[in-house]
Amino acid sequence: MVLCTEPFKVTAQNIARVLGLPDYPFLLVQHPIGSCTLPELKARAEIAYRQALPILLGN
Amino acid sequence: MQLYAPTSTTPKRKAFRAPALATIDGMRIGILENGKLNAEEMLNEVAQLFVQRNGCTVRTLASKSNASAPAPGNTLVTVAQEVDFLLTGLGD
Amino acid sequence: MPGALSRIHEVPDDLLAAIDYCYEQGWTDGLPVVPPAVDRVDAMRAADRRPAETVIATHPATGLELSLHAAAVNAVMAGCLPEHFPVLVAAFEAMNRPDFNFHGSTASTGGSAPLLVVSGPYADDIGMNADVNLFGPGNRANATIGRAVRLILRNVFQMLPGISDKSTQGNPGKYSFCIAERARGNPWPLLCETQGYPAGASSVTVFAGGGFCNIENHGGNTPEQILGSVADAMANYGCITLGQSVVILAPEHMRVVADAGWTREETQNFLFAHAKRTVEGMQGVGKYRDREYDKQHGEGAHALAEAGFVHRGLSPDDILITLGGGDAGGHSCFIPSWSRGRGSILQHAEIRKRS
Repeated sequence: MVLCTEPFKVTAQNIARVLGLPDYPFLLVQHPIGSCTLPELKARAEIAYRQALPILLGN
Repeated sequence: MQLYAPTSTTPKRKAFRAPALATIDGMRIGILENGKLNAEEMLNEVAQLFVQRNGCTVRTLASKSNASAPAPGNTLVTVAQEVDFLLTGLGD
Repeated sequence: MPGALSRIHEVPDDLLAAIDYCYEQGWTDGLPVVPPAVDRVDAMRAADRRPAETVIATHPATGLELSLHAAAVNAVMAGCLPEHFPVLVAAFEAMNRPDFNFHGSTASTGGSAPLLVVSGPYADDIGMNADVNLFGPGNRANATIGRAVRLILRNVFQMLPGISDKSTQGNPGKYSFCIAERARGNPWPLLCETQGYPAGASSVTVFAGGGFCNIENHGGNTPEQILGSVADAMANYGCITLGQSVVILAPEHMRVVADAGWTREETQNFLFAHAKRTVEGMQGVGKYRDREYDKQHGEGAHALAEAGFVHRGLSPDDILITLGGGDAGGHSCFIPSWSRGRGSILQHAEIRKRS
């Protein structure tokens, strides 16, 4: 599971395409991460977790 | 006029995703953090939700020494044998 | 392993239309390119007789490969002459080393551009500029070799602005960032000599340059005064990291340093010792990190690393310093590494003529 922030979505999609997986699904959260407080990280983690569930289960 | 394309002539790659999991409950999670600020903390927060809600375990913690370089092959091989899925980050 | 030759595009026999075609294909850096006509590429290829499919660099993340052929195509587009080609090839041989990390330094929000410093007689052989307007504009070899680097990163390795090149603000050096080291009046051994190449050989050093800082000092007349202003520029809060540095001293400044008998090593030591900020100052701007301080002051710390301070770089050897620029003007420059630490380390390679 690859997590990235919204400005890097196009970057992630590009590299997935070059590596032969053009439809690879990513976990996408709000930018930035580096300066987040712990509550902000927890909120982003919740969003990432909910995105991850259907991907992991192939739904 | 005939112009050469300036692009690479490397053949396109093909790859395959890992198969879907039958269940998430009790799965082993690996974390590969990329050394960026708060990367480890972010991935840990996500992993902890799987621990609390799905009874997962965090089996492996590995770090990339260089955020922008691919993970060393031996890191991925080692981690892949010990976990059911891996959490990692891309970008900042 | 790439195929030998790339696809051929048939375009009308009209130069201006061909220039427009290159724009439409997305092959340019925003400026018009020389259309890579087959005969021009063949002439460029003659500058290196190895097989066209010879790989000189590989992208570590995508596996895309740079062949001699593709390098020649982009060199034509940049406006290079065949005699410029060996410098370009050597530059990518150096950039290909993992420690340079050409993917990271190009993709990063940090927005670096590979700086090429050509050292030795080959710079003169191909008419490079080491003098007035060192960093441009005006000299074909400097401008086009540097430009070819960018076109290759873009066209071959698909490091496209906004997609796989996420530089927040970019960098003018991304158009071209290539100079020759000045031999005339240089009191120190040339880089190619200190790098261990045989007598008569030339080298290109590649460095992930994060920007360009002009250091003006027309009043200083001791090494401490001149280099004090250089050190201060190196330690400005916007630049200070554990990364490497390039300092190009102008002849006016080098004369002050050389007249006092300072060696390159003494100069590097002074700069390292003085390019520093207090821990409190770094904390005040949110740039202090325990693990970075520990890296600089822990096991293996350089003797000049002073407790309570964060220095720029890990040791004086992290500072590449030499002579460049015109005879008049108290204007030197400092170029910080893109990397905040050891994420990109400068590399060098010998320039070889294989024609």
